[in-house]
Amino acid sequence: MSRRTGSALFALLVAFAAAAAEDVQVSARTDADEVALDGTLNLTITATVSSKGDQAELSLPDLKDFDVVSRSQSEQVAFTFVNGAPTFRRTTVTTVKLAPRREGQLAIEAARVTYKGRAYTTQRLSIRALPPGQSPTPKARAQAPPPDRFAEDAITDPFQDVHPQSRDLVLRASIDRERPFVGQQISYSLYLLARVNVSGIDKLQLPRLDGFWSEEIEAPQQLVGEARIIDGVPYRAFLLRKRALFPLRAGKVQIDPAEVEVMTGFGMLFSRSSTRRSSQPLTLEVQPLPETHKPDGFDAGNVGSWTLTASVDPVAVAVGQPVTFKLVAQGRGNVRNLALPKLGQIPGLRSYDATSNDKEAIEQGQVTGMRTVEQLLVPERTGAIEIPSLSMDLFDPAQKAYRTVRTGPIRLEVHAAPASAAIGSQAQAQNLLAAGGLRPIRLRMTRASVAPPPWTRGWFWPLLATGPLAVALVAGTGRLRRLLARDPAEERVKKARSAARARLRGAETLLDEQRRGNASASDFHAEVARALTGYLTDKQGIAAAGMTREELGRALLDRGHPPGTVRAVLAVLDECDRARFAPGGADLTSQEARLERAGRLLGELDKVRRGA
Amino acid sequence: MRRVALAALCAASAAQAGVSVPPEARGNALFDQANAAYLSGETSRAVAGYEALLEEGLASPELETNLGAAYLRQGKRGLAALHLERALFLDPSDDDARADLLEVRRGNVDKLEGESEDGGAEALARALAPLPGPAAAVALVALWSLGWGLLGANVLRPRAALGTSAIACFLLAGAAALVTVGSTAAHRLTLRRAVVVAQAAPAREGPSDRAASHFEVHEGTALRIEDEDQGFRRVKLANGLTGWVPATAVEPVVPPGWSNQRRL
Repeated sequence: MSRRTGSALFALLVAFAAAAAEDVQVSARTDADEVALDGTLNLTITATVSSKGDQAELSLPDLKDFDVVSRSQSEQVAFTFVNGAPTFRRTTVTTVKLAPRREGQLAIEAARVTYKGRAYTTQRLSIRALPPGQSPTPKARAQAPPPDRFAEDAITDPFQDVHPQSRDLVLRASIDRERPFVGQQISYSLYLLARVNVSGIDKLQLPRLDGFWSEEIEAPQQLVGEARIIDGVPYRAFLLRKRALFPLRAGKVQIDPAEVEVMTGFGMLFSRSSTRRSSQPLTLEVQPLPETHKPDGFDAGNVGSWTLTASVDPVAVAVGQPVTFKLVAQGRGNVRNLALPKLGQIPGLRSYDATSNDKEAIEQGQVTGMRTVEQLLVPERTGAIEIPSLSMDLFDPAQKAYRTVRTGPIRLEVHAAPASAAIGSQAQAQNLLAAGGLRPIRLRMTRASVAPPPWTRGWFWPLLATGPLAVALVAGTGRLRRLLARDPAEERVKKARSAARARLRGAETLLDEQRRGNASASDFHAEVARALTGYLTDKQGIAAAGMTREELGRALLDRGHPPGTVRAVLAVLDECDRARFAPGGADLTSQEARLERAGRLLGELDKVRRGA
Repeated sequence: MRRVALAALCAASAAQAGVSVPPEARGNALFDQANAAYLSGETSRAVAGYEALLEEGLASPELETNLGAAYLRQGKRGLAALHLERALFLDPSDDDARADLLEVRRGNVDKLEGESEDGGAEALARALAPLPGPAAAVALVALWSLGWGLLGANVLRPRAALGTSAIACFLLAGAAALVTVGSTAAHRLTLRRAVVVAQAAPAREGPSDRAASHFEVHEGTALRIEDEDQGFRRVKLANGLTGWVPATAVEPVVPPGWSNQRRL
């Protein structure tokens, strides 16, 4: 018995596992909970199976309380790779338009879907039929909850007013709210509606979103279509882009059309063509934040749904040891515009500059954020120190009201530092001092000289040149002086002839004086002899006065004088000596002849240079 | 406005003291007032005080550093960079001015790309700027003249000691000349240095508002002035990017009153 029971349980488990592996999903929904007796409603039954070829068979439920006005069916096959294996998902959507037959509470029984011999059923639905002419309350769609249940201007279906008529491709821009507040998020979506095959899109050009701070929510990299029935025609809706927009100022704002180039056809070869489409412009009326009940000093950036928390770590610390105060604002809205309250001066606590860190995320199409402000606090005294409550006013657009969020006060216990720790436990040091930042100003002023540098002054270069010029002058002067200095011996050589001539002129004068009886013949001859010997001494370097006639003759011959000249010189000198020491023997005529001969001899002697 | 503020301050101080205030004490009093305004967060009043001192012709590295810091607090990065550069010109060893200038540059809009075209001249000028150029120039003149004097004496009365002393003087003069040349080069580069003080200025191909603009410079960017014409200045960035910008958009680091040298 127990063996059979176990087998049955095993079989049940296998069957359940097989069903799970097939992954069959069926559902039914209506587009309204209420319908007037003269109206219609749509029943949509969706069956999704994990199969490429097999189809699920739908059996409509017993609709005894309704008349079937029309019935349509669409099918979509999606192909994906899961863990490297191809997976197909076939979705069949059957839409039935129903008209109620009677008033009251009506039921739509469960529909039955058969797939591979197994039956699956949908849930039972309940509809309330109203008297003819009465407007039913719009029913919210179950699959897409409204973004803001309090918003009167929320647009639940982006295609609710789309009428493509005969167009195959429609680019549709939509916003989920037409009258947002300043700083409130709205979602801008761009859809492509197609009833032809779309193989790709290109050159998607979003409009300039001036007047908004925007954040990307969704930017699909692949085209994933969703079946939609619009005006009874099946379309596939492709979401191309979704952005969150935060209006920055109040007033009427227009969002220009977006543009995209759509490639239709199959693959690369079959009838592939390109078509350009533009969306319709959008207009929205941004409302200013209400003035009533607006808190004093309200910061216009604090819009959204935010919470505020504060913490201190650690809450018990030794004096002088730093603690970290952390203030966190978290919620929905634009965290970048948020203005958080600041911690003021707290007696007994030295505070350092705060650091701020923002994080953003997208959750269910909503921009959420978290701002964390951290501040280092150092207790300067022992005992309990209370960090006061901080509050922040904000405007919650969901509630259309201002409210205040607060943190609780935090009690910090500060105790005296143990002596050993105070002496220096470097391992516990936490006060990290990073370089940078503006340095403190100077309190003492010194006056700087802005005089032009010396090398730009007029005296600089001349002064540099003075030294070398002075030395050059000194050296030049010495050289000049040396050049100008004369050798007396040479001078005598140079002047020997003129000196001898001068003596001969003196002798001539003595001759004239002798004629007048004022001079003697010995004076004349002495002068002639001095002329010759002086010349020989100065010019020829021969000290004739101290030489015998033979020595003089040899000396003159040694210097290259012709022997005739030498003999003549010796003769004249002998005649002069005789006339000087034996007077009376010389008349004036012979003296004139001797004077003339002496002059001629000087010329002959001068022909041979000294030392030649 | 600043002159009126200065006059009012001086008159008040003089009336309070009942005596005539010497200019130096008056300048120090205004400096203290401006510092107090800065420390209490009134940066506009601090800037007015510092600027009044500058208009009096005062040149002080501390004054320029404080003014740069005050402008930075006001978010005027161009003027902050200009006055910190001036502080460094007056005192190249001023660490505070150098650190504040780095802080200013960290927030500059313009980030230069590409290799430096000046071959490191700017870096060399920075390295040479702290050299005691004027003192070295005076020493050069003294040692050079002394060396030649000793040489001249040696020529007239040759002695070994004179020749050795002359050689020693010439060696020292050579060292002083090297320092002077380095300082001269740095000085020449600094004279052409400027800072963008306008928030943004288009750099054009020619000195005209109608000339095409290919790039824009923003406040705080350091550059070199190469020419001036018709209310425009031809500027070159460190990476060689060159253009004509309105003359009022850039300010030379060395103001005209601080040097009688030609800039260009």
